[in-house]
Amino acid sequence: MKVKVWGARGSVPAPGPEMNRYGGNTSCVQLTLSTGQELVLDAGTGIRTLGLDLLNAPEVNILLTHLHLDHIQGLMFFPPCFRSDAKITIWGPASPEASLEDRVARYISAPLSPVEVRELPCSVSFRDTPPSRWQIGSATIVCEAVNHRGPTLGFRVTDGDSTVCYIPDHEPGLGTALLDTEPEWISGYGLARDADLLIHDCQYTDAEYPEHVGWGHSGVGDALGFASRVDAKRLCLFHHDPLHSDRFLDDLHGAARRRWAELGGDATAVEMGVEGRNVVVEPGRAPAVSAPA
Amino acid sequence: MAAQRPLELILARNLLTSISTPAFLVDQSATLVFYNEAAGALLGRPFEDAGRMSPQEWTSTYGPFDDDGKPLELDELPTTRAIRNGRPAHAVFRIRSSRGVERDIESSAFPIVASEKGSSGAMVLFWPADENGGGEDSP
Repeated sequence: MKVKVWGARGSVPAPGPEMNRYGGNTSCVQLTLSTGQELVLDAGTGIRTLGLDLLNAPEVNILLTHLHLDHIQGLMFFPPCFRSDAKITIWGPASPEASLEDRVARYISAPLSPVEVRELPCSVSFRDTPPSRWQIGSATIVCEAVNHRGPTLGFRVTDGDSTVCYIPDHEPGLGTALLDTEPEWISGYGLARDADLLIHDCQYTDAEYPEHVGWGHSGVGDALGFASRVDAKRLCLFHHDPLHSDRFLDDLHGAARRRWAELGGDATAVEMGVEGRNVVVEPGRAPAVSAPA
Repeated sequence: MAAQRPLELILARNLLTSISTPAFLVDQSATLVFYNEAAGALLGRPFEDAGRMSPQEWTSTYGPFDDDGKPLELDELPTTRAIRNGRPAHAVFRIRSSRGVERDIESSAFPIVASEKGSSGAMVLFWPADENGGGEDSP
């Protein structure tokens, strides 16, 4: 399974020269399955440039963790949406309040948008994620509600023997000490257990986190603690705060690697979400990472 | 390892660990899966020592009991009613701590209902019915 990060920023796009290396686009990750089928995790602004790479893909599945703007903002600018030969299926959390289509349409409609969902030239369908596992191509997908503000999912995608877990917005340490809590009481534990690659929220430093308790995001200590508890083979820290510059994130990365080593892990197993980064995930091996193209 | 709990139960447990009102949490089958420190003080035993208990176990250990000291029927308990009916339930009854101290308490059970999956369990808060409202060692 191939993984490519198209947007690793949280909350709001953060363009600017001081953000160039990690990138300013919001959450979007492309998974290319062993069969060649494409899954897209979230539709933050990174999905726009991903769409330029998918001009020949007849069918795209987009899995939305939740509907906060930084996870859907790019949808209206996703080039396949404007191709009549494209078939797009959008999966997202169910709600008793309104259908997934109606909730997404609050964004893709006047006055926020010049087009309406019904006007998109592509064939688009909206599907509530099933309560249990389901199959897309060669991938088995499991989703679970995780601790964030509002209905929010995490995804576990298994293709053959390789598993990627994606929980970009998650505060598992809220009200609990992760290192002492029984696994069954840890939000997201079942999703992330033994993942070959865990892509996880790390919006804050531990010094910043106390000012943001309950906002639905993790400090680096909890991100590492969670990854340690679930025995993730590799961790990609994700959903960078829009105030964190490249230099700041370099320092955060260094500190995270040192702490991971203190927890008994291999320091090189902790990576940062970097826009344009490719990762090949294979079972039982550290994923091969290549620099942004 | 037991399967991971539904998120709403995890959040409820996190809440209960943070409050000083005695409270416990039961799952969909009315199994007691957690109680907080304040409840532990009232029951005379911390949850870490007691562990999870089936409805039969905790009613025979702690009650509630009727005036003759017999455990009340499970169907009569606020916990059971809350899970079964999906509505809050309230009652006043007598419990017995692990040290044999009996006291009257008021108990309110609130069902925890996730959107489409139905009841995941119930959160049960209780208060000593006597005026001083003290803990295990109060007269």
